[in-house]
Amino acid sequence: MATTYRIPVADEDLPGALRAFLQAVLSLPDINAVLAPGQLPMKNTVMPMLVSDPEQLAVADPLAPYFPLNGAKLVSRLTRKPSGGKIAAVLRSCEIRAFVELVKLHQGIREDVLIVGIDCLGALNNTDYARFAGEAATEETTRRFYRSVLDGDGGDFDETALASACQACELPTPEGADIGLALFGVNTRQEILAETKTDAGEAALERLELEAAETPAGRADAVRSLVARRKVFRDAMFKRTQEATGTLEDLTRYLAGCVNCYNCRVACPVCYCRECVFVTDVFDHEPDRYLRWAERRGAMKMPTDTVFYHLTRLAHMSTACVGCGQCSNACPNDIPVMELFRATAAQTQAAFGYHPGRSLEERPPLSEFREDEFSEVVGIEG
Amino acid sequence: MRRKIGKALVVGAGIGGIRAALDLAETGYGVTLIDRAPSIGGVLSQLDFQFPSNRCGMCKMLPMVERDAASQFCLRKGLFHENIDILTATELSAVEGEAGRFTVSLREKPTWVDAQRCIGCGLCRTVCPVTVPDDFNDGLSVRNAIYLPVPHTVPNTYVIDSVACNRCGECIKVCPTDAIRLGAGLRRGFRILVVDDEAIVRESLRDILDEEGFDVSAAASGPEALESLDAGAYHLMLTDIKMPGMDGVELLKAAKAAHPDLIVLMMTAYATVETAVEAMKVGALDYLIKPFDPDALIPMVVRPFEQLQASRDRRLDVGAIVLSTGTGYFDPSAGKGNLGHGVHPNVVTALAFERMLSGTGPYEGRLLRPDNGEPVERIAWLQCVGSRDIQADADFCSTICCMHAVKEALLVKERYGEAVACTIYYMDMRTAGKSFQRYRDRAEFEQGVRFTRGRAHSVSWDADGRNLLIRDVGLDGSCREESFDMAVLAVGQRPAPATEDLCRLLEVPTNAWGFVQTEALSACRTQRPGVFVGGATAGLKDINESVIHASAAANLASRAIHAAGGGIAPEASGEVVYRDVSRESAAVLMVLCACGEGAEKRMNADALKRRFEKDPSVQQIAVVAESCTDTGWDRIAELVAGGKANRVLIGACHPYAYIRRVRQLGAQIGLDPSLIEVVDIFEPAWAAARAGADQATDGDVDPVLAQQSTRIEMALARLKHRDPDPPPAIDVIQRALVVGGGIAGMTASVAIADHGYAVDLVEKEDRLGGNLHWLNRTLEGESLQELRDAVTQQVTQHPNITVHLGTEISGGYGQVGRFITTLRDAEGAVQTLEHGTAVLATGCREAAAQSYGHGQHPAVVTQRELEQRLADGTVDPAGLSSVVMIQCVGSREEPRNYCSRVCCATSLKHALTMKENNPDIAVYVLYRDMMTPGFAETYYTRARQAGVLFVQYETTAKPEVDFGDGGVTVRATDPILGKPVEIAADLLVLATGMTPRMAPALAEAFGVETDADGFVAEAESKWRPVDAIREGVFACGTALSPRSVVESIATGEAAAQRALRILDQKRLPAGRIVAEVRHSLCSRCERCIADCPYGARVLSPDEDRILVNPAMCQGCGSCAAVCPNGAAVVRGLREKSMMETIDAALAL
Repeated sequence: MATTYRIPVADEDLPGALRAFLQAVLSLPDINAVLAPGQLPMKNTVMPMLVSDPEQLAVADPLAPYFPLNGAKLVSRLTRKPSGGKIAAVLRSCEIRAFVELVKLHQGIREDVLIVGIDCLGALNNTDYARFAGEAATEETTRRFYRSVLDGDGGDFDETALASACQACELPTPEGADIGLALFGVNTRQEILAETKTDAGEAALERLELEAAETPAGRADAVRSLVARRKVFRDAMFKRTQEATGTLEDLTRYLAGCVNCYNCRVACPVCYCRECVFVTDVFDHEPDRYLRWAERRGAMKMPTDTVFYHLTRLAHMSTACVGCGQCSNACPNDIPVMELFRATAAQTQAAFGYHPGRSLEERPPLSEFREDEFSEVVGIEG
Repeated sequence: MRRKIGKALVVGAGIGGIRAALDLAETGYGVTLIDRAPSIGGVLSQLDFQFPSNRCGMCKMLPMVERDAASQFCLRKGLFHENIDILTATELSAVEGEAGRFTVSLREKPTWVDAQRCIGCGLCRTVCPVTVPDDFNDGLSVRNAIYLPVPHTVPNTYVIDSVACNRCGECIKVCPTDAIRLGAGLRRGFRILVVDDEAIVRESLRDILDEEGFDVSAAASGPEALESLDAGAYHLMLTDIKMPGMDGVELLKAAKAAHPDLIVLMMTAYATVETAVEAMKVGALDYLIKPFDPDALIPMVVRPFEQLQASRDRRLDVGAIVLSTGTGYFDPSAGKGNLGHGVHPNVVTALAFERMLSGTGPYEGRLLRPDNGEPVERIAWLQCVGSRDIQADADFCSTICCMHAVKEALLVKERYGEAVACTIYYMDMRTAGKSFQRYRDRAEFEQGVRFTRGRAHSVSWDADGRNLLIRDVGLDGSCREESFDMAVLAVGQRPAPATEDLCRLLEVPTNAWGFVQTEALSACRTQRPGVFVGGATAGLKDINESVIHASAAANLASRAIHAAGGGIAPEASGEVVYRDVSRESAAVLMVLCACGEGAEKRMNADALKRRFEKDPSVQQIAVVAESCTDTGWDRIAELVAGGKANRVLIGACHPYAYIRRVRQLGAQIGLDPSLIEVVDIFEPAWAAARAGADQATDGDVDPVLAQQSTRIEMALARLKHRDPDPPPAIDVIQRALVVGGGIAGMTASVAIADHGYAVDLVEKEDRLGGNLHWLNRTLEGESLQELRDAVTQQVTQHPNITVHLGTEISGGYGQVGRFITTLRDAEGAVQTLEHGTAVLATGCREAAAQSYGHGQHPAVVTQRELEQRLADGTVDPAGLSSVVMIQCVGSREEPRNYCSRVCCATSLKHALTMKENNPDIAVYVLYRDMMTPGFAETYYTRARQAGVLFVQYETTAKPEVDFGDGGVTVRATDPILGKPVEIAADLLVLATGMTPRMAPALAEAFGVETDADGFVAEAESKWRPVDAIREGVFACGTALSPRSVVESIATGEAAAQRALRILDQKRLPAGRIVAEVRHSLCSRCERCIADCPYGARVLSPDEDRILVNPAMCQGCGSCAAVCPNGAAVVRGLREKSMMETIDAALAL
């Protein structure tokens, strides 16, 4: 059963309390390193850092509203094969879900990582963060952000400034973690609550000698009202996107700015191929084919295969899409890629009743063949 | 490739014949497969849906090793194999010689269409004015006189029904390839003499036959007829029997004496039918009953005429003959109790009903009332029509009808649910096969099919003829009547047409009902060495058994041929070395067939040539007339030889018809046949012609040309990117392991070892023989002890068999071609064996009795215990007055919800023995459904005649047993009396059935999956019944499912034959279409491993790579579909080629 512990917050210093907690975790004998976002000293930015020295955790800044890349891929890189050690990783809920998907595809070993998830306050787009942080990303930048979000009073940060992926996120709590750190509905000026979600989490927290606590009554409501707000945003986004991409013509228009840079697939945490088929010679057409196509149609957009590329990625990945929004973040031409993927994923995932990242037990739909499924599509009667 | 000089003849190209032919062809023999019908497929060409999946799946019978030797498309469409010559419309007409050295004569019946020239365009059909009922749909639809015998076959060669044909000649006019030979002149050359003293008969016959195109003369008396016969060469004489002076029989004798080849038909009134039958004994072909029905007369005359045309026999030397002639059916409309068949259109046979459900059937798969086309709401299936019926001379069960009815009812339920009520009238529901009982239960309890025990005795209809009224008698003797929309008759088996003639020709005996009689203790051997039966020839069987028996017959045939030296490699079998073109870029020679004169202008050859001249991959384009002829083909060979092309694309008709030719061409010009492709560019032209579309005029976009162009472009895309290097192969250790030394395992060992391969036979016990140590004899009375001793001796004395007694399998790994297995003997000594295949024959034991006081009371025994005690004399029937046998103890209900198949026969055997020894003994058999399929039914009849009493019980009211003062009292409810009965018994015998003995560790060592009951799961219950899911592992005997000794022997032979396909080659080549891994792209996500249905992929931990076993891979492409990375690819179907093909198809 899940147990809840109290992490005290001194002087309203939330990041400080989190750092102390991570240091305690790192002190556990079987944890070799902690992966957590940290302030980079040389530049005003926050990046994931793999820390083995507890002192170095002083720069950890897990609440920064900056999400430059999806950490699932990093954790996959660290656990793809047995390393002989174990790490603790601080991950957002979408990062956890993406990692679970990768584990299903043998791209990581779940047992080799202790996942510490924090209620996700969301993040800004990369470019917006730079603007928000100004000259230097400091802890003060982070404080302005989390205080305003947690107090819900607006403050000097407007929720609508969050990346649209975060505004549409209906899964902000870290369900797949070993240890979940609760912020929503908790008096974060005084405490953070640590909830154990797995046996591994339980085993770790037991040894930290924290004070046992109760989950406050208001937490469930706080989460519910946040999710309700997100769903309103999300559903409006789906509607808008589906209307804009309903036909092949509309979709072509939607993706017109694409230059086939494939950044979105590089940023995508569940696109796990070593080398995308689109950069292999399969799409390296013979010159005479280009000429033939041009002859047949009279005119043809170059480069070719743009819509095909996105459709292929939708076919391959939409069932695993966790909605982290890194694709949009990575697009140099501001194509709303996340909107397209989430709107499509909503349908493909519903078709298979699949929830990516929810459980390791759920097999990816394309890895499983059920004869009695989609008889209307395959033309075989049940 | 043919690797052996031996050849076999397989008679009958239904499912059994195809299996036997493939089994022999796959081991390198040449096979000639013949069928009387003008197409292959037998009865299964009419059946779309099979138990248990209720789909087809026949293609799963196609070769899985050396796949490229055969066609790889729907087997119901057609079959091509390098080593198989298929001759349709052909019968066996003579056999000389002995096993290993037969010379057979084959007679081809004329179909009046030249199969070499017919391209299946179907223009002839559009102009044929004749329509007749279509046999393919059991008369529920119509066809033309020129027609496709099976609408979906390839090659789709038309045939003419010369009885229906009116010889108008319209088809000849439209045939673009001049393929139709109506034989009008031939009919004029067929001289008929009509002999009758009545002028009116003579004249009417002369008119009818003249109209049919024959040359007819007449004579008014015997002497006049003899004069005419002497004067001119006549082929056929039709003579009346009752004539003044010389009567018909005397004329017959005199005429035959002078003209032995003359065919004579007798004409008679009902009164002299017996005389006519006598006349047939002295040489008449048949007789006609006056007054004539021209519809009956014409076929009688046409048949000998056609036979005369076909009298040029083809002679062939073969080492063995496999008969797989299938079954005939009882014709219910012929007899008195016709149950309305042939009278009311809504009474149909089970086969006709199956056609109604078929998409190619009379109603395109919709279930409609044949009388008015309205939806059907209530259907009754009537079982045992012409089976289990002594009045119909059918004291046998037809075995398959129960499951056929259940399947049809389920198909209806699955489609229409509650909208259609389904009722099955049955006597015993014979679910004596693997998973049959659960299937039946599903029908009853999940789908609501109603099972009514009782035999329907009549079908009538209400006053307006709309609804059928079915009457039956229940077990309690009550008469019941119910109204239905349709009745489906489970018509029983009869010997296949011409079985009698065939058996006479082969000197093979038939049984009391005219089926081929097999040898004692063998399902497949006949009295004549070298002649074997497979499939349903010796009695109707379901697909599973037909296929097993066909493989067993193939094995016996193979041994006969091998023993006579047929296993030697033919001299010319040197491997063909193809030119290495792997480093050349594609250079295609494109050949466009201009067809013959009649079709030339439709082929657009010149326009196509202009269209493709510019393509950089096309090196040369040539237009060749009649490329299918030898001349045309020689021209193509010249063109390749003279040019530098490394690919050949032929735009013609019928790609399938060229399969063998393409291989020959490849060998001739040294180009790998996979680099030669034939594409059908004619069909668009014929489709337009059938639709009556005009040819486009110059300037317009011709839709036919556009389609032809697309077809060529698609083929070009495929061909251009085809992998030119040879496919991979795996090495095979030509040695077999057989696990289990019971009758099945011993049979399999000898069946393999007889071909010269080493066999290790592993037996857990310290002696061979398994269950034959306690089984004494069969129901038919054959000694199983003698069988055990004979086979044990064969095994122990066989130079190629090593027996490991008291030994178990302790572990194993490996894949087809090379398994490594560890054996451990009783002392713990360990030995490792390498072998290419494994046959598992781990058998069954009698299930333990857990009820009715077994183990508590000495008078309660199992059937096995009774068998032993009858043998050793501890049970003496003379000392008993009352014996009760309870069937289905602990079986046919969960958790052991399967029929053990042998218990009913065993109980009958013991009941009959006890009755023989002590006629006063009272024997009661308490049963649920008596399972005596096939000819075992006669023993059920015999037991009832001997006074054995049978009391039926339901699972809801099982018998109860009390032990009073030393005696046993059995209580049950007798459904006939409708009252409870109490039987005092001296002996209570429990039939507990069988449970499998496969140890989990053994299953694991060979990667074998078992079903819920612990039996080996077959790769496919119907089409691959002795193959485990894992390639290279086979199972036989009761390890597969309960079966009798004779059936176990057949599975042992079948499993051996399947293993021989692999053992027979040192190197097993993969198919050209086979999966590969591009390791540099692979992310090791292992989705392809999970998805591979053949278990052909593994992640090698040492190499950290995905490995594919090319012999196990069947090129299905699941891996390529699931791999998002393009790392799992299929040779021969690479992305680039696929993309370009699709591109061409969509003309983007």
